[in-house]
Amino acid sequence: MAKNVLITGISGSLSQRVAERMLAQGHHVVGVDYRPPPQGLHPNIKFYLANYNKTKIEDVFKKHRFDSVLHLGRVGNLKESLGKRFDLNVVGSQKIMNLCVANNVKRVVVLSTFHIYGAHPANHIPIFEDEPLRAGGDFPQIADAIQLDNMASQWVYQHRKTKTVVLRPTNVIGPTIHNAMSSLLRRPRIPYLAGFNPMTQFIHEDDLAAAVLAAEAGDGVGVYNVAGSGVMPWMTALKLARAKTFPLPYTAVIAYLKMFSAFPLYLVNFFRYPCVISDRHFRETFGWEPKVSLEDSVWTTVADARQMQGQKPQYAL
Amino acid sequence: MSFLRDLVVDREVAAAIDSIPNNINSLGYDPWGLNPEAAKTYFSLAKLIYSYFRPNVVGIENLPAGRVLIVPNHSGQLPFDALTVATACLLKAQPPRLVRSMAERWFPTLPWVNIAFSRSGVVVGDPINCRNLLDDDNAILVFPEGARGSGKVFQERYKLRDFGRGFMRLALQTGTPVVPVGVVGGEESIISVYDWKAGAKMLGMPYMPISPLLPVLGPLAYLPMPVRFHITFGEPLHFTGPFDDEDSEIDKKVRVVMEAVDSLIAKGRSGRKGLFT
Repeated sequence: MAKNVLITGISGSLSQRVAERMLAQGHHVVGVDYRPPPQGLHPNIKFYLANYNKTKIEDVFKKHRFDSVLHLGRVGNLKESLGKRFDLNVVGSQKIMNLCVANNVKRVVVLSTFHIYGAHPANHIPIFEDEPLRAGGDFPQIADAIQLDNMASQWVYQHRKTKTVVLRPTNVIGPTIHNAMSSLLRRPRIPYLAGFNPMTQFIHEDDLAAAVLAAEAGDGVGVYNVAGSGVMPWMTALKLARAKTFPLPYTAVIAYLKMFSAFPLYLVNFFRYPCVISDRHFRETFGWEPKVSLEDSVWTTVADARQMQGQKPQYAL
Repeated sequence: MSFLRDLVVDREVAAAIDSIPNNINSLGYDPWGLNPEAAKTYFSLAKLIYSYFRPNVVGIENLPAGRVLIVPNHSGQLPFDALTVATACLLKAQPPRLVRSMAERWFPTLPWVNIAFSRSGVVVGDPINCRNLLDDDNAILVFPEGARGSGKVFQERYKLRDFGRGFMRLALQTGTPVVPVGVVGGEESIISVYDWKAGAKMLGMPYMPISPLLPVLGPLAYLPMPVRFHITFGEPLHFTGPFDDEDSEIDKKVRVVMEAVDSLIAKGRSGRKGLFT
């Protein structure tokens, strides 16, 4: 049966990958974003420009009777001020959820992030969904992401008719993804923290898009980690990305990141301490499993950039 | 690099590690960061240090197959006792065991040390890490005295500090036998006569040993002396009962392990003729 689906953050790549898959399954997709539509947006996606915390989004819900809402539009981009991120991520998400409840939306999938667990020396391995979110202690900038996650987790139990799934994916990478981690991996020279090489996970955009679809189609509710194909040390990821690397002490890495990239500081600890999550519960509940290997996940993310930087593609798929 | 590694890697160590089944992914790592190839290098270096202490290993045949908690006394300021017990389990146990040591929670903050430890199988001493590894039938090396044990001053040598209860709860929860171990020699290899607490706090260390030889030797005073280690493995102890019992009930079982370790220390001390033999 064809469903009406609302996808937030549609100007971002992950939302578009999810939208294309939903369209291919014969569903109707409406996309909304606070940013203008990207070039090459799939013509069958009905696009609305709207802030999630303003009234225009209410009209979108009135015009379309949504069966499912995929709230993938969390603003992770720290170029936006904390105030704006709070408005979009916390106030906006609350508004979207209230609209879902008021309009009898049956299924909601919210994209959170594993960053809220925080990379911490005391982390055990692996981390499951019911564990403390440590990131806020070290980096208050992540408060909006923690609050979005907490709020969405409460909906799971407050609004039983609107069945909600919250996904906490690990580092999302892939050829069309332009978040902080993917952009860092594409840099020709990447610094690492001298003396540290923590275990790191990545999930390819295709695997995460499939996970969102599995969550939408299933009927489980709750909070789930989504971890991808495995674990490797950070330096191994840099090797797979065929980047030139150089060691820096902690303070210098921070200065470097401030100067050369929009890389959020709260991610720097992920280059020092491990934060390894388990997605066993998600796999068991939704029958999903990742298809893209660790090697391919990293290489497909950087391949185009490396070609432009004049490197011969030595690692063939 | 690879020829350097070939130069360093000890054949006996490599053969032992190759014989041990592991749980690593296609890139060669387990979730905690163990990498058997890197572990070969680190354990080859460990074997050199092991030889320096010429340990007299007794009763290692007591180590059962499958999951086991290895529980020694802790001593010696630096974790050479952990290193020698772990190396003994790799080289002397039948079949060889790659023990997973439970380390202080601050080890991940130490540059380079954290990499060497993780690659050789050391994990943060956390009950969930421990339970996951026991569920996979690993041998766990745990020092329930913690830093209180290794930071002991010379006047207090071989007096056990109170054991924590965590290992006993895990033994009960996972049905794991406990092998008590007495390590003798650590207390005399690096001697501390005073724990300078203010200095430790300043540097974020759990303790700061002051060696009596410090005025003469300077930092060299912290090099371990080639005292011979005597490592005595006791028979496995099996415990039953609820793992979430009251502390006082758990303490009774912990007491049994402490007494076993105490008697193994006494055995080791009575067996030695001098510090270096």
